[in-house]
Amino acid sequence: MTLKINGKEHQVDAEPGMPLLWVLRDILNMTGTKYGCGVAACGACSVHVDGVATRTCVLPVSAVEGKEIRTIEGLSNGNDLSAVQKAWIEHQVPQCGYCQSGMIMAAEALLNEIPEPTDADIDAKITNICRCGTYQRIKAAIKTAAKYKAGSAKMNEEPINA
Amino acid sequence: MKRRTFLITGGVVGGGLLVGVGGLSYVNNRIKEYSGTDMGEGTSLNAFIRIAPDNIVTLAVSKTEMGQGVYTSIPMLIAEELEVEMDKIKVIHPQAEGPYTNFFMAHESPIDFENGLTMMQKVFAMVPNVLTGGSTAIRDSYDHMRIVGAAAREMLLSAAAKQWEVDPSELYADKGFIHNNQNGQWKSYGELAASAAAEKAPENPRLKDRKDHKIVGKPVDRLDVPPKVNGTAEFGLDVRPANLKFAAIRHSAYPSGKITGIKNESDVKAMAGVEAVIQIDEGVAVVAKSTWHAKNAATALSLEDQPNPELGSKDAISTLKEAIVGEPSKVWEDEGGIEDVLASASQTIEAEYEVPYLAHACMEPLNCTVLVDGERAEVWTGNQASTFVVNGVAEGTGISKSNIKTNITYLGGGFGRRAETDFVLKASKVAKQMPGTPIQLVFTREEDMKNDYYRPAVISNLKAGLSDREILGWKKKVATQGALAGLMGRNVPMMPMSAEDDPSSTEGMRELPYEMQAAYTDLTTVDLPVNVGTWRSVGHSQNAFFTESFMDECANKLGRDPFELRASLLKNAPRHLQVLNTVAKLSNWNSPLPAGKARGIAVHKSFGSFAAQVAEITVDGKNIKVDKVCCAIDCGKTVNPQIIESQMQSGIVYGLTAALFGEISVKDGKIVQNNFPNYKMVTMKTMPEIVVDIIDSDEYPGGVGEPGTPPIAPALTNAIFAATGERVRSLPLSKHGYKFV
Repeated sequence: MTLKINGKEHQVDAEPGMPLLWVLRDILNMTGTKYGCGVAACGACSVHVDGVATRTCVLPVSAVEGKEIRTIEGLSNGNDLSAVQKAWIEHQVPQCGYCQSGMIMAAEALLNEIPEPTDADIDAKITNICRCGTYQRIKAAIKTAAKYKAGSAKMNEEPINA
Repeated sequence: MKRRTFLITGGVVGGGLLVGVGGLSYVNNRIKEYSGTDMGEGTSLNAFIRIAPDNIVTLAVSKTEMGQGVYTSIPMLIAEELEVEMDKIKVIHPQAEGPYTNFFMAHESPIDFENGLTMMQKVFAMVPNVLTGGSTAIRDSYDHMRIVGAAAREMLLSAAAKQWEVDPSELYADKGFIHNNQNGQWKSYGELAASAAAEKAPENPRLKDRKDHKIVGKPVDRLDVPPKVNGTAEFGLDVRPANLKFAAIRHSAYPSGKITGIKNESDVKAMAGVEAVIQIDEGVAVVAKSTWHAKNAATALSLEDQPNPELGSKDAISTLKEAIVGEPSKVWEDEGGIEDVLASASQTIEAEYEVPYLAHACMEPLNCTVLVDGERAEVWTGNQASTFVVNGVAEGTGISKSNIKTNITYLGGGFGRRAETDFVLKASKVAKQMPGTPIQLVFTREEDMKNDYYRPAVISNLKAGLSDREILGWKKKVATQGALAGLMGRNVPMMPMSAEDDPSSTEGMRELPYEMQAAYTDLTTVDLPVNVGTWRSVGHSQNAFFTESFMDECANKLGRDPFELRASLLKNAPRHLQVLNTVAKLSNWNSPLPAGKARGIAVHKSFGSFAAQVAEITVDGKNIKVDKVCCAIDCGKTVNPQIIESQMQSGIVYGLTAALFGEISVKDGKIVQNNFPNYKMVTMKTMPEIVVDIIDSDEYPGGVGEPGTPPIAPALTNAIFAATGERVRSLPLSKHGYKFV
C-alpha cells in the first residue's frame, strides 16, 4: 500500500491490521514515534493524521491509506524548527525525552485547534503521560508557542518561566 | 590552589603504550587503560577528552543520560576548566573501563585528590565499576571532571609554549584557542592536540576560583534537548543495526515463578512474521520480523507455569505485619535508652504505617539489542551500569568480556530499574541462539510492569515518648525485604549483602537530625516472592513518609505548629533548618488560607542534599486538588540551576504519582497491574504548580535526581490532615477513596 508521510509517498508491504506505529518504526525505520503502552493510554506514539493528533499503537495502517500522516520527523525542515519545537527548547522541556515526540505532536494539534489555549484547554487536551514530570514546562512552552504562532512575540525573547 | 593532585585521567589509546600520567606510582596501571572507542577523529589528551582538527571536542561522559541532565552538567565541569564552548562539545558514553569508574560509590565520598585512591577505590576501578545511580553523578564528578579539564588545558598550554618558544605564563586559553600575549597570535586546540598529547599531564593543574566560573553554576541549555525535540535522539528501542530481528518475551505470571512448558509452540511458530520461538530459563521469547508480530505471537503463547515452590504466594502486607511484632533482625540505632524514655514519658503515641510495592514504569519499556558474531558480541541498550551490561552479555552468550562492545543509548527513564540487567541477560541468551542476527528484545508494557524489581512493600511502627511540650524519643521499627540487597545480589554477586545488613531499608529513618533524648531504629526482614530493587530515592521514598507524617502526629498531640516544632528540633542542624525556613517563607506558611484549603510541610535529607516541601491543597469532600508545591533545595555548590529545578519538579511528580495512585498488588500469586490504565500517573490535569528555591552554598555538591521525591508524600498527607483531620497512614491515597481533580 501507499502511505503519505511528511509529504512523501512510501510504498509499504504491511498487513492491513498492523498498527501504524510499527509500520513507522519497524518497516520504515522512522523511530522518532515511540512505543509506550500499546493501548493508546500514554500518547508516546502520537502522530497527525489529516492534522489530528492520533495514537498509532492501536491504529491499523489500513485506516490511514491515502491520508496525510505527519510525524515528529516531518515537523521541522532541517534546522528550521516549528514554533512548538522552538518553545520546547526555550523552556528546556525534555528530561529523558522519550515521551516528548508524542507531547510535541499533541501540542501542535492543540494549537491548530485552539490557537490561544487556556490552562483548562491544555489540561483537557494534553493527556499524554510523562514519567519525568515535565508537565509544568510543557504548559509554559505551549503558551509560548501560541504566541510565536500568533506572531505576537519574537522567538527567544521570552524569559524562561518554567 | 596548590595541592598534590592524583589524576585518574587514563593513558592508553587503542590498547597501545601506557603514557605516564601524573599521580602516584603505586596505582595499578590497569586503572588508567582505556580504548577511546566511539570518540571519533582527533587526539585524546586523556580518557575523557578528545580534540579533533576542526576543534570539536568529544567528551566521554561516564554517567548515563536518563533525563537527569548529566550529558550537560558533566561537560559543563570539563568545559569550564578546559576553556571550550558548550556548542563545540560532542558527548559519547565510553566502554566499561577503569578511568570511568564511579569512585564516589566506594565510600560515599569523592576522590581525595591529595592522597590518591583508597584500596576500595582501586578495586572499584579495576572491576571497573561504571555505574550511574544513587544520585552520585555530580558528587563523583565535581572535582574529578574539573581536574580532567584543567589538566588537558595545561597540556595544550605547554605544547603551545614549546611551539612559540615562550614561557607558558605568556599564554592563555580561551574558547578553544591558546592565545599568545607576546605576538598576538593564536592556535586552535585542534592544531595543538597532537603535540599536547605528548606533554606530561600536570600533577597540580590549577583550578579556577568558583567566583570566576563562566559555565558552572549557570542555567546552561541542555545538549540533549535539540535531538529530543526533533525525534533523532536514539533510545535503546531505536537502534536499527542491519538485518535486525525483533523479539518479545513472556515471563512466568508468578513473581519468582517458572515456565515449565509451551502448550502451543507449533501454532505460534506458524503465526505471521514469526521466525523462532526460543525458551530460556527466564521465559519464552518469540523472534519475528517486527515488534508487532513478536508481541502478538508472544501474547498468543499458552504456557505451563508454576509459582516458586518455596515462596509460593505469601502475601506481603500480612506477612510484614506479623513479622514486625516479633524479634527484629537487626538493631540499626539505639541512642539514649529508648525504653526508659518511653516508660517515664508523661504521654506516648504510636502509629503503624504501610506502603505497597511500586513499579518503576519507565516511559521506554525495557529492551536490549544484542548481536552475537563468532567470538564477539555487540550490545545496544539504555542502562545505568555498563559494567553490569557487559556482565549480562558475557553470562548470556558465553563470550569473553573483552570481546563485548557496548553502545549505551539515551535511557527512556531509569529510576533505578535500568541499573538491573535482567533484560540484557535475556536478550543475550536469545541472541546466542541466533548468531549473526541482531536481536532487539522488548518487554511489552505488560511484561515490563509485571516483571519489575519493585520498590518494596514496607510496614513501619513508630512510637513516641512525649512531655507536655516536647518529643523525648522515638522508637522506630521497619519490616521489609531489602531493595539494595536485591540489586547487589543480582548484579554484584562478589559483594553479597544480606537483607538485615541492607542500609537502604532504614535510610532516612535512623540518625534523624531532630534533637531528642533517645532514638531507636530496628529492622525486621522477610523473604517474599515479589522481587524488589532500587526505586527513585530507595528507602527514603517510604521512610520520609513514615517519619515526617509521625512528626506531624507528634505536633498535633503536643498542640504545636508542625513547622515551629520541626524548627525547634533543628536548631543544631543548620542546613535542614535553612531549607525548612526557606520553604515556610516561599509558601507563606503562616498566612491564613480560605476554607477548604490547607498546607502540609516536610523536610528530609537524602543523597547529600536537603529538601523541604510544602503542599497546598484544596479539599472538597473526597476530591483533592493539589494546587501548589513549594520546594527548597540545598544541594551545595550548584552546577546547573535550570537542571536542578527540573529535577525537583521531576522528583516531586514521581513521588506524587506514587502517593496518589501507586500500588502494585498481588492476587492469586500474580501481579495485578499491567499497564497505565490500572497503574495511573499524574498527568497535566492533576499536575500542581511547583515553585523551587535553590539555596546555593559552598558545601560540596549533593545529588539532585532523587532528593526531590521523599518529602512530597508526607507534605501532602500532612496537608490532608490539616484540612480534614484524617491521618492517612497508608498509601496510595486513592485506596482511601480520594479522587484527584
